[in-house]
Amino acid sequence: MATATSIESKRRITIDPITRLEGHGKIEIFLDSKGDVERAFFQVPELRGFEKFAQGRQAEDMPQITSRICGVCPTAHHMASTKALDALYGVTPPPAARKIRELVYNTFMVEDHALHFYFLGGPDFVVGPTAPAAERNVLGVIAKVGVETATKVIAMRRRLRELMALAAGKPIHPVFGVPGGVAKALSRENAEQFRIVADEAVQFARFTLGLFEKVVLANSGYVDLIRSDLFTHRTYYMGLVDEKNHVNFYHGQLRVVLPDGAEWARFSPDRYQDFIAEHAEPWSYMKFCYLKTPGWRGFADGPQSGIYCVAPLARLNAADGMATPLAHEAYLKYCGTLGKPVHQTLANHWARLVELLYAAERMKQLADDPEITDTTVRAIPTAAPREGIGVVEAPRGTLFHHYQTDEHGLITKANLIVATQNNAARIAMGIDKVARGLVKASTVDDGILNMVEMAFRAYDPCLGCATHALPGSMPLFVLLRGPNGAVLTTLRRDGDGAIHRD
Amino acid sequence: METMARVRLLGLGNELLADDAFGIRVAREVHRRLGPGADIVTSSAAGFHLLDDIVGAEHLVVVDTVQTGSARPGALRILHEDQVRPMPDGSPHFLGLFDVLRAARKLGLQVPADVTIIAVEASDCITVGGTMHPDVEAAIDQAVELSGRLLRVDEACRARS
Repeated sequence: MATATSIESKRRITIDPITRLEGHGKIEIFLDSKGDVERAFFQVPELRGFEKFAQGRQAEDMPQITSRICGVCPTAHHMASTKALDALYGVTPPPAARKIRELVYNTFMVEDHALHFYFLGGPDFVVGPTAPAAERNVLGVIAKVGVETATKVIAMRRRLRELMALAAGKPIHPVFGVPGGVAKALSRENAEQFRIVADEAVQFARFTLGLFEKVVLANSGYVDLIRSDLFTHRTYYMGLVDEKNHVNFYHGQLRVVLPDGAEWARFSPDRYQDFIAEHAEPWSYMKFCYLKTPGWRGFADGPQSGIYCVAPLARLNAADGMATPLAHEAYLKYCGTLGKPVHQTLANHWARLVELLYAAERMKQLADDPEITDTTVRAIPTAAPREGIGVVEAPRGTLFHHYQTDEHGLITKANLIVATQNNAARIAMGIDKVARGLVKASTVDDGILNMVEMAFRAYDPCLGCATHALPGSMPLFVLLRGPNGAVLTTLRRDGDGAIHRD
Repeated sequence: METMARVRLLGLGNELLADDAFGIRVAREVHRRLGPGADIVTSSAAGFHLLDDIVGAEHLVVVDTVQTGSARPGALRILHEDQVRPMPDGSPHFLGLFDVLRAARKLGLQVPADVTIIAVEASDCITVGGTMHPDVEAAIDQAVELSGRLLRVDEACRARS
């Protein structure tokens, strides 16, 4: 394994978008003396100081604080945090409260997955991986799917946001989760509003899957790319499942499957430390999660390596199916086409749409449940707090919140494991594989930028500090450095997609 | 509101993250000086979450932090939308404000035709509970002056019309 000092002496290629405004991910490619890739790394600047910041604060404040840290999926943090408080105070929310939480959570998942497919993953698969860079953006997606469809997406989003504000207090940063339940009951009228939008969401998700079939699956070039070995890793997979081993975003047991798909472990999320450990590398602030028993065997796949994967692809691999009928049908088609488990990273985009349909159907199921309007929505905690672990499936994978407090409920220790940490090792492997395939004898092909980025884009890694996004005026660039650190070649890509060599 | 706002101030940032508090603090101070009549919003969110904050304004003044590495912390820059080149392949996770704007215009939504960005060079935006760099904090006043002026010009125009 490379150490910090030996790395310095290597030839080095850096892909760094510089400004955090476009996310702060940085790719570094180290070359050996022959100019071939020795190791390629993906780095993200993790937020620092969270633990220290949390210490001494009231545990009840954590659902608000943690949801404010992240500008992208605050609802996931709010929910994991609220569940950690349930555990901390040893209190079980009444059925209606649990259902309201799950309803809001699935509403959030519908919104996030839909936006992701159309506007974030879209440039890769709707517009196409080989389309000119200038078209591989939101406008390119709109041009391809049509203004009418894009308008539908935006309208859907608005309705989902209105529902979240209705049930969770605020549309972006929910404020309804409290230890032992939720802050307010759901009126019959509100449940009816959820039912109406849920019906539309189901139709919308079916339409989107249809679009995916038409635009992506009917194009053999895309399908070949999804199946390509360059983006394939045979790792373990993890996700929350219900009692029937169906995908659930809000509650259940964590199930881990082997690279061959067989169940390796199924455990209560509060036992996560028995199964998961974190590995540090000198070149990254981010710790790499791995499974304890196979252990850390470096950046390698296969059953002997403890590297695992989370997010839509992993959730579908870790489950035996979907809990709702239409989504299960979509799931069978997905597995029927790609096999199971699916090891192709780029299949995340398809898996996300199967989940979109599930989330929409689940919204409907919950809104239809007469118990959801029950007015008993809080169990008052009586136990002295000590330790609590809360887990949900965030859009980008399993999210852990773990708090310890003194007897007054003041935080003494807080730990978060976010989705991207679970996936970090596999992302690093993905980038390494693509770089090895494309960089030979110090020759950097212009196309490598796009291919390397595609290797991590499918995971949609959470770049913690980029809480909002103005477009950067900085170009993306690759630096090729000699052993003494001198720049040999600069490869720069401008905003218009033009690539220059200096 | 009975009339559509002409200029809206959008303070972007996160008060929990050291220098990233800049946009929020500037917006709050402008609000204090101009009173409730001024159209001022703040957000710690990203991507499409920002859509709700920009719909309905004719012009937008955005106050935010940047980290270009090519200026000293606290240096202010004023940019217009057409001076900012989009990055075609950043992370898909963080759709930029201008991507959202372009998409919204394409879809015929009522979003600003004109955007001015007041950006401060930040030194640290990743320390939770961190303090602001003194030079970044010192730039708040100037940014308040600048954005206040942009909003007041708008008020004067409306008074005349």
